[in-house]
Amino acid sequence: MLYELFIEPWTIGDWMWRGVLVSSLVAISCAILGTFLYLKRLSLLADAMAHVALPGIVAAYLLTGSQSTPTMLLGAILAGLVTSGLIRFVERYGHARTDAAIGIVFTSLFALGILLLSTFARDAHLDLNCVLYGNVLGVADHSLILLAVVTVAIVALTVLFFRPLQLATFDPALAAAFGLPVGLIHAGLMGTLSVTTVASFEAVGAILVIAAIITPAATAHLIAKRLETMLLVAVAHGLLSAVLGMYLSIWLECSSAGAMVTTGALLYAVTLGATWARRRWRRAQRRQRLQASALPG
Amino acid sequence: MERNRHPRWARRAALATFMGITAASATASAASPGAEIWARTVSFFTLEYGFLAYTIAGSALVGALCGLLGVFMVLRRLSLMGDALGHAALPGIGIAFLLVQTKALGPIVLGATTTALLAALAIGAITRIGRTRPDAALGLVLAGFFGLGVVILSYLQNSASGAQSGLQDFMFGNAAAIQPAEVGLLGGLLALTVALVVALYRPLQLMTFDAVLAKTMGVPVRALHYGMMALVAVAIVSSMQSVGVVLVAAMLIIPASAARLLSDRFERVLLIAPALGAAAGVLGAWLSFLFDGFSSGPSMVLVAALFYTLALLFAPRRGLIAQRRQRQERLRRRDAEATPNAGESARRPHSAALGEAA
Repeated sequence: MLYELFIEPWTIGDWMWRGVLVSSLVAISCAILGTFLYLKRLSLLADAMAHVALPGIVAAYLLTGSQSTPTMLLGAILAGLVTSGLIRFVERYGHARTDAAIGIVFTSLFALGILLLSTFARDAHLDLNCVLYGNVLGVADHSLILLAVVTVAIVALTVLFFRPLQLATFDPALAAAFGLPVGLIHAGLMGTLSVTTVASFEAVGAILVIAAIITPAATAHLIAKRLETMLLVAVAHGLLSAVLGMYLSIWLECSSAGAMVTTGALLYAVTLGATWARRRWRRAQRRQRLQASALPG
Repeated sequence: MERNRHPRWARRAALATFMGITAASATASAASPGAEIWARTVSFFTLEYGFLAYTIAGSALVGALCGLLGVFMVLRRLSLMGDALGHAALPGIGIAFLLVQTKALGPIVLGATTTALLAALAIGAITRIGRTRPDAALGLVLAGFFGLGVVILSYLQNSASGAQSGLQDFMFGNAAAIQPAEVGLLGGLLALTVALVVALYRPLQLMTFDAVLAKTMGVPVRALHYGMMALVAVAIVSSMQSVGVVLVAAMLIIPASAARLLSDRFERVLLIAPALGAAAGVLGAWLSFLFDGFSSGPSMVLVAALFYTLALLFAPRRGLIAQRRQRQERLRRRDAEATPNAGESARRPHSAALGEAA
């Protein structure tokens, strides 16, 4: 029973290995990136960026007729830049608040992308279902390589530039005063976001990549008190939901990306419940101690 | 002054709408031969096919309903809440289908409304009991519920009979599939919303602009908030068939934001937003009737985005063109002030003083 449920999937062909590899790479890169975005309160920008990668890719395909990875990457990065520019424009000249500006821009661009995809780009091998929900097992070799390169790059950059990143995340003003290129770091973060979105696109799809970015960071923020711990917990959460999600998708015969996201959300809910219970328990204890010490003698 | 400005404002709004329609039809006729387009347009608006009446009525009602509720959402900085609730309707659709095994409207509406409401409650609860930031809580709930929905729908797809094939329509909408019952539902909902807004106008207005003050004055802010979320959830779910769950947020945010550009008065915004929404709904349904592969949801959203762009450019006071003119006016006054032409500034002492102040 246990063997059939847990071990057997690994023994039939290499697809389980491959699936877990792909989802772990997505989990690691998104979790690290998500932590910085979370701390900078930019979580919802990930929402916008993930959605506009679609029109970017479709537009790149329509303009160049090619579907190679560099074209897609370029299209998505340009779409990301256009989006952040448009959001700022709408905010400034449209007298809209940030959330409304984000909502106006990315929904419109996403709608445009869907229409282009279903009319002019029909012959592209971009299945709408796949774009939305992803397909962990259908990731091509070159996409897997891209994903691996992106993950290694993100880990390396985070380790190399840990101090500057930390400072720029928590106190941009102080970082600027120290002479750090805060604007460049922010732009780098946005660029990395676009690249990661595209790299994760095939595996988990445009909408579910948001979960891979936000959920680990939010979970880690419930537990961790230091940036190092938060990054580690986020990565651990991502990896755990990747593996458990793969199992869930095998047992239920359902979409593995969806299962990963659901598992991740459940892990968050459990963590939230646990920290809440712990806080209540501590408060009760403190009250008891206070009452005990207030007693005469 | 106030009475004088009104007709000009109305004229401009009418002009903007008219230009929107013209631009839309111009792009439409550029894409393929004009005669056929015209013929299909005529058959669309003269209701040549029986279902078109429901399509048009349904799309207009969806636009109006979302536009009206969107005003409150946008002004209360809850724009993206609609996005979260829309995505959260997906698992409800799946669960309802799993339980009753038919695409009957009743269970699906019930299921979707339930999960959308659960999402609203979850966002509230997460920000209250944990230390997760509000924006992250929203994204988390959105993606988590949507993930669950994808799990259930893909499970159905791999296991079931094929009766679930139409569930895809709920993602991006198919206005041609609107049923008479849905038109009734939407109409009732719009009537209810309008009645509630009229009856609770003062408390709602107060809550929208200053929630803290409203609370101290005894307005039950929390009850109103969750009541409104319930209304939004039902509205989103009833819009699913024509707009789809992914893009329904746009119909909440964009018409309201465009209306906000066109007027500074709350009552007028409350009238303009539903009008723009309804126009976007009908024109979107028209576009999706004209062209193959145009889902009605994205088409409506793009028409709404066009309205927003036009409002951004041509709005009477907040539009880019009006602002540029105002700036030039100010500069001209300052120049007139600066030039050593005493006669000029003496002739217009008032404007010179204004220029100085600016």
